[in-house]
Amino acid sequence: MKLVRDVLDKKLTDREDCEMGRVSGLVMQVGERSQPRITHILVGGKTLWMRIHPWIARVAARLSRMWGPKRDEPVRIPWSRVESVGKDVKLDVKARDTGALDWELWVAKHIIERIPGGGKQEEE
Amino acid sequence: MRSKRFLVASLVVLFACKPPTPAEQLDSALSWVATARMAGDAWLQHTTPDKYTRQTLELSQQTLLQLGTKLLKSPVPGVDSASLDSLLTRSRGHIAQMAALVTAKNSPGFRQQLDSLISDETLVKQFADSAESKQ
Amino acid sequence: MKKILQLTLGIITSVGGFLEIGSVVTAAQAGANYGYKLLWAILLGTICLIFLVEMSGRLAAVSKHTIVDATRERFGFPFFSIVMLGIVAVAFLVLVAELGGIGLALQILSGIGFRWWAIPVSIIVWLLMWKGTFGVIENGASLLGLVTISFAVAAVKMHPDWGGAAHGLLPTMPGDGKAKYGFTAVSILGASISPYLMYFYSSGAIEDKWDESYIPMNRIIAGFGMTFGGFLSMAVLVAAALSLQPRGIDIEKFEQAALLMTPALTRWGFYLFAFSMLFACLGAALEISLAIAYFFAQGLGWSWSEDLDPSRDSRFAFTYTIIILLGAIPLLLGIDPIKVTMMSMALTSATLPLAIVPFLFLMNDPIYLGKHRNGWLSNSVVAIVILISFVLAIISIPLEIIGG
Repeated sequence: MKLVRDVLDKKLTDREDCEMGRVSGLVMQVGERSQPRITHILVGGKTLWMRIHPWIARVAARLSRMWGPKRDEPVRIPWSRVESVGKDVKLDVKARDTGALDWELWVAKHIIERIPGGGKQEEE
Repeated sequence: MRSKRFLVASLVVLFACKPPTPAEQLDSALSWVATARMAGDAWLQHTTPDKYTRQTLELSQQTLLQLGTKLLKSPVPGVDSASLDSLLTRSRGHIAQMAALVTAKNSPGFRQQLDSLISDETLVKQFADSAESKQ
Repeated sequence: MKKILQLTLGIITSVGGFLEIGSVVTAAQAGANYGYKLLWAILLGTICLIFLVEMSGRLAAVSKHTIVDATRERFGFPFFSIVMLGIVAVAFLVLVAELGGIGLALQILSGIGFRWWAIPVSIIVWLLMWKGTFGVIENGASLLGLVTISFAVAAVKMHPDWGGAAHGLLPTMPGDGKAKYGFTAVSILGASISPYLMYFYSSGAIEDKWDESYIPMNRIIAGFGMTFGGFLSMAVLVAAALSLQPRGIDIEKFEQAALLMTPALTRWGFYLFAFSMLFACLGAALEISLAIAYFFAQGLGWSWSEDLDPSRDSRFAFTYTIIILLGAIPLLLGIDPIKVTMMSMALTSATLPLAIVPFLFLMNDPIYLGKHRNGWLSNSVVAIVILISFVLAIISIPLEIIGG
């Protein structure tokens, strides 16, 4: 099994080598007699802030309820989707489908594209 | 470790805002008289533009006013504060005149005032030197 | 052939981009107050910077990670967030100082106060980042910054006492006023060893797609570029020592610094100073804004690249937009950029270990650098200088507050 250390905080790339954030947390399954294993990768959401202090996570959660894509829970990606773990973690998914880019797209649509010269995100 | 850094940072901020001592204020006054003189010399040689010269002279004058008030309140030890104050007032007068003469583009008048300022500068320097020797 | 062109450009942009308001103000104050005595501080800072910049480039070229990437991955998010907070806070102050520097340069050229320039300047800096690509920004601003060579011309023209200057390269203690001397030395070190330069440089290496074959070129750029840049800092000090110290002028306000080159270069000297500050601070403002935005983007895993349209890296673009807007606020309030400069330079010195210690760990990590890990020389030079900066900061600052 891959050590948590090899995976946590690494960059994630999707099928098309598109950057989709970093591993904020991991979901592990601990069996009675089996080795603990990673079941899911967590991206974004309050996992990251929880690692510093729960209070910050609460503030972040309140802010994200008012503003931005209405997403409360972090993105969960099953471990089965992991293709390889090297310098980055390569996933067999499409970035946009996972919800990992929700914030990026929200900021692009609601802020950046409203400013002249901002360009346009491609619609797929 | 973190609190040590915070302490250092606070100390830096404190220091940057620390008020100067009377001796330092006298040195600063000398520096500003010298600044006005240097700007004046430069203007007569057509080195500095009118706007900048006038603004620098006005800035010198204002700063000298603030310093003069502070020096009167907390005098430098061993320095006759009354004489120093009248000297600085006189210098400010010359500098104010110089600023007006820049706008009027009156070089000969400016030259006169500058010469007076140069004599004042020598006297301020004497004050500053005697203060330093008594420290 | 292409590599030689890149090399030349790299050196030139290092020189043109070296000076900014921090290095100019601290060097000029040092010269005005202490003559040649603080040249050693510039020398020490520059040597350390050469090693740090070389290391930044090497890390990016070999590991294909920026310093920020590697810091988060190696040390985890909680530790990373502390580093980020500290570095970004101080870098932001430096940004305010640079934006103020642009405003002050425009003030002495136009007569219109720097407060009025705060918003136009922010908009222009932002526009350059919004519309520009990395190459255009980095190279354009630095090429314009070559006007700062006029400091060297002015210094030489005033016939410095070369023997006295050489003495100044060795550390000496002044008779009295030790605390203020120490504080000035600390500020010079903070001005020379700016962490944001490292983050900017390593991000640039990634943007320019460096690989291991760039290591020799990186060494030459860092070595020559920073050396020549350091000479420019020294030139500012020497010019101040010759033009301001004899007249007893201390630099408390920008207007006084503007007279720095007038004895040597008369009317040219005045305008060259103004334009030098204008372009030097503009380049620095761009670099720092980008460096701060890189910190957020790389640390949190957003896409980032100056070569992309803003909508393709929206959070990155949003970050630098907010930063520049916030940076204008202190200036609108009329806070003196010179005071911000002095404070931010000393703070940089005091917080250097926060940036450098994790970096040194990375530079010795075989996972990131393989056989290109640091040698004993790189480690020693950087460790010693950082220790000196930190210790000096700890000693001189309280002394200056208590004593005086």
